[in-house]
Amino acid sequence: MQQVGEAKLSLLATKIRERKPPTLSMAPMIDCVFLLLIFFMVSTTFSPIPGLRVQLPPPGKPSPDKPKGLTVRIANPEPGEDRGTMVLNDAVVQIDEMFNQFINAPDEATNMLIIQSEREVLHEQIVQVMDIAKQAGIDKIGFAIVARD
Amino acid sequence: MALNLAKRRKTQEDDDIPMAPMIDCVFLLLIFFMVSAVMKVPPPFTVTLPDSATKHEFTRKKFNLFINSDGRISIDDQEMLTLEDMELFIAAHENQITTLIIKADKRAKHGDVIDVVERAKMRSSKTEGLEIAFAVSEED
Repeated sequence: MQQVGEAKLSLLATKIRERKPPTLSMAPMIDCVFLLLIFFMVSTTFSPIPGLRVQLPPPGKPSPDKPKGLTVRIANPEPGEDRGTMVLNDAVVQIDEMFNQFINAPDEATNMLIIQSEREVLHEQIVQVMDIAKQAGIDKIGFAIVARD
Repeated sequence: MALNLAKRRKTQEDDDIPMAPMIDCVFLLLIFFMVSAVMKVPPPFTVTLPDSATKHEFTRKKFNLFINSDGRISIDDQEMLTLEDMELFIAAHENQITTLIIKADKRAKHGDVIDVVERAKMRSSKTEGLEIAFAVSEED
């Protein structure tokens, strides 16, 4: 009797041990969530994009025929060269003199810079000119667009 | 005996670090990052941005316009084969584009860049026009 009772008890114990608790297994889910979290943390970029704002006249309106401001004309670079010749107020200007030219320009001229550039000029040179203009305090930079058919 | 064992196991579990608050936090963080994530979408070609000392900072958004040195255009990873395609794309997503950031390669030709600027400006129905910016290199 005692033996039978003990056997029954041990059977009960194994039964209790084997019965799984009726809960969801959390560990795999947490693993997944952590993985996702790490993925999103790594792939998110909060840093802003540095750039230069381009001011353009409103669409559809033709630009005034004689805009006040400085005009820089840039010619196509010669074959094998990176920079085109730049002309500011009918005088050829080098990139390193440009800042002083902008600073010394009369006040009414320095509110706007118009860049008239030929098509083959490299974007880098345009950005350089824009950069110098911003450094010299000229905020509005526009592009002259040659009308084509 | 068995009951005792179960009890012991239970008390042992209670001694563990409580997981629930941590999981709550992790979920919150996960949701935050998922919502705020703006994926970097690389264009189908490489673009080296020009350098500039002055720079204005623009928030990272979807729909960046890339131009490479051969004049190929793509918006995020979708290559635009013609300027008309680009124009239509911009028109279709106009509500989502406040500032059009043009990421043009250093050696891109000004003509190609200005074509894009002109098209984008023409397309915009806003009276003040679309705000356009040239992206520059992030290094100082």
